[in-house]
Amino acid sequence: MYANEEYEQSYGRDYEYGNYETEYGAHTGDPNLDSEYNRQYFKMPELVQKFLQYFRNAVSEGSIFELQNLYEASWPKLTEDFFEKRPWPEEAEVAALVENDPVFMILYKELYFRHIYARIQGGPTLEQRFNSFFNYCDLFNYILSEEEPVPLELPDLWLWELVDEFVYQFQSFAQYRARLQKKTAQELETLNSHNKVWNVLCVLNVLHSLVDKSNIKQQLEVYASGGDPDSVAGEFGRHSLYKMLGYFSLVGLLRLHSLLGDYYQAIKVLENIEIHKKSQYAHVPACQISTSYYVGFAYMMMRRYSDAIRTFSSILLYIQRTKQLFATKSYQHDQINKQTDQMYHLLAICLVLHPQCIDESIQQTLREKNYHEKMYKMQYGDLQEFENCFVYACPKFLSPCPPAVDAIPDDYSKEAIRHQTSVFMDEVQQQRMLPTIRSYLKLYTTLPISKLATFMAQNQRNNEGKRDLDKEIQVLIIHLLCFKHKMKNIVWSKGPSGLEGKFQSGSELDFYIDNDMIHIADTKVAHRYGDFFIRKILKFEDLNRKLHHIKM
Amino acid sequence: MAEAMKQTVAAMLKGIERYNPDNLPTLERYVEIQSRENAYDLEANLAVLKLYQFNPQRFNIDITSQILLKALTNFPHTDFILCKCLLNERQLAEEPINQIMYLGDILEQCDFELFWARVHSMPELTQRITGFLDSIRKFVCHVVGITYQRIDRAHLAELLGDVDDITLKHWVKKYGWKEEGTLIFIANQDENIKTKNINEKIDFESVGAIMASCR
Repeated sequence: MYANEEYEQSYGRDYEYGNYETEYGAHTGDPNLDSEYNRQYFKMPELVQKFLQYFRNAVSEGSIFELQNLYEASWPKLTEDFFEKRPWPEEAEVAALVENDPVFMILYKELYFRHIYARIQGGPTLEQRFNSFFNYCDLFNYILSEEEPVPLELPDLWLWELVDEFVYQFQSFAQYRARLQKKTAQELETLNSHNKVWNVLCVLNVLHSLVDKSNIKQQLEVYASGGDPDSVAGEFGRHSLYKMLGYFSLVGLLRLHSLLGDYYQAIKVLENIEIHKKSQYAHVPACQISTSYYVGFAYMMMRRYSDAIRTFSSILLYIQRTKQLFATKSYQHDQINKQTDQMYHLLAICLVLHPQCIDESIQQTLREKNYHEKMYKMQYGDLQEFENCFVYACPKFLSPCPPAVDAIPDDYSKEAIRHQTSVFMDEVQQQRMLPTIRSYLKLYTTLPISKLATFMAQNQRNNEGKRDLDKEIQVLIIHLLCFKHKMKNIVWSKGPSGLEGKFQSGSELDFYIDNDMIHIADTKVAHRYGDFFIRKILKFEDLNRKLHHIKM
Repeated sequence: MAEAMKQTVAAMLKGIERYNPDNLPTLERYVEIQSRENAYDLEANLAVLKLYQFNPQRFNIDITSQILLKALTNFPHTDFILCKCLLNERQLAEEPINQIMYLGDILEQCDFELFWARVHSMPELTQRITGFLDSIRKFVCHVVGITYQRIDRAHLAELLGDVDDITLKHWVKKYGWKEEGTLIFIANQDENIKTKNINEKIDFESVGAIMASCR
């Protein structure tokens, strides 16, 4: 509300809050009309004019270091100073400044729309969504349809954010498209007659084309086996622009497949990428983090808890160690923070379902109040808590197809997430007895089945007092079989495909049954003293140094 | 037949071609062949479900049911979950998919007795899948194999779906288990399943650096 009022005061637009969407619609998305509107209310500051001209020169000269600075520092800074709550200047106005440079204009519009998606309240209008899509088409046509590689060089971070944003805008459109309840007849008609815009096949096609054009798959294969990727890169793939767009498109596909609930393809698309290893492709932190998030999530859904836990802990450790690095770049920071928090939630879920040892410093974070409480509740079988954590931490699932033309005007945007949640909750439901069994088994090295059955019955407080031990034993054996089945999962150990692996029981507690006796094997972790001593040593050192500096 | 088709189909699943709905008739035929010939190709089947997801008007409930039943035959792998994730709530509620979902649910919980009772009460559902029952027995043997050192003979017969003595002997032999009176010896589990102790090992090299800095 406050933001709106402020906007109104500074720029004299009269609109009411409730009327927001239609009023905003007055902003047509048509460049000519919009620039009219802009001239009327806002004069482009000279600083911005200078910046845009300088920016354009840097693009056409391909000065990559300069671009990096302009993209990562100047653009966000100017956004903050002048365009906090309003769009960047319209196309026509900018075009006049840069001699209609077509390539620069496409790049500018990409940034312009991205800013509208991120910052403008009420989100993009239908026209803006369409125009942004057409702009992406222009961009990818330019890059993909030339006979030889285009003379364009952009910083890797920009390329990553470009691909990621493309998938994000598709996701955003699919969600918007599925909310029929608030749309006017006019809007619905426009949507129905433009089914190709933000079509899932179109998005897939772009990503696949970028992958194919760059030969990135072949490059990664050669790279993984220790060879020189350039030997198979081909004319396009040798160029940094194509190579990196190809690589980021693989991650884009990972995200897209995950959003559609296709976890098999999600993992498969990353063949030959070892996500925990440093490589020449993996130097954009935001990309690394996003990759691990989706990979870990897919593993969790496939009940490959060990792999999920390994994926999450390794990236969370990386984030923990490089935290200071991100702190400076604020616009990335929010996204990374959110995804980090989501991964801690997912890790917490995995560890409740599949307890195992993890790195001490990650464990430390999970002991903090917020996570600790949630884990505690989940351990005690609070299904609602499982669901809350899942819904908070899962990707924004979507249905690839818009609702039918004759569908009743309702909100269909939550359908996909509801479905994935229910698949996950089915799994949790199937495992609901395991934590109780585990907690009893932890206390023994051997335990007769009948005795455990008695414990379990007490736990459930049979209200009639009548007990049928045989029946209880039968039920318990089913749970024990289920325990073994659920805790034995595929774990990746080596090889190019993340889908492969061997069945292992990676959880810390295991058992076997010899006729009617349960034999239990636990994992005992001896007290760690190394860390403790190192910390004390450093503290002592520090103290000593300070003492030496004191002048008496 | 299935073997011969595998190559053709693999070519259809490359790159963007995977999403071409014109491939559906071939892929659907391939599903039927898998059911008939007791073959299995998860990737091709997921591609079919994906095409249904993109083209809801082409959704074929009969083929989908076969894909789901085939996924049950590949337990303990989680293929069934992967398939489920590509469908939607409405499809899952449809007959007979809801029945198959129930079968999947009790199989996941290892309630084999209930599973067999259910399967026998509606034989027509699973009949078309060649080797369905034996595939489930394989899964039962997998679970027994990782759980038991020795199991009561009658109990094992029950888990396998109340099989007669000859069938029981067949499975026991197949997995190299041994009959010991009323018990069946599965394997010596205490070699695989034993208590682990994790101790911190600090060698001189790793403390060298910190010692050197302390002067």
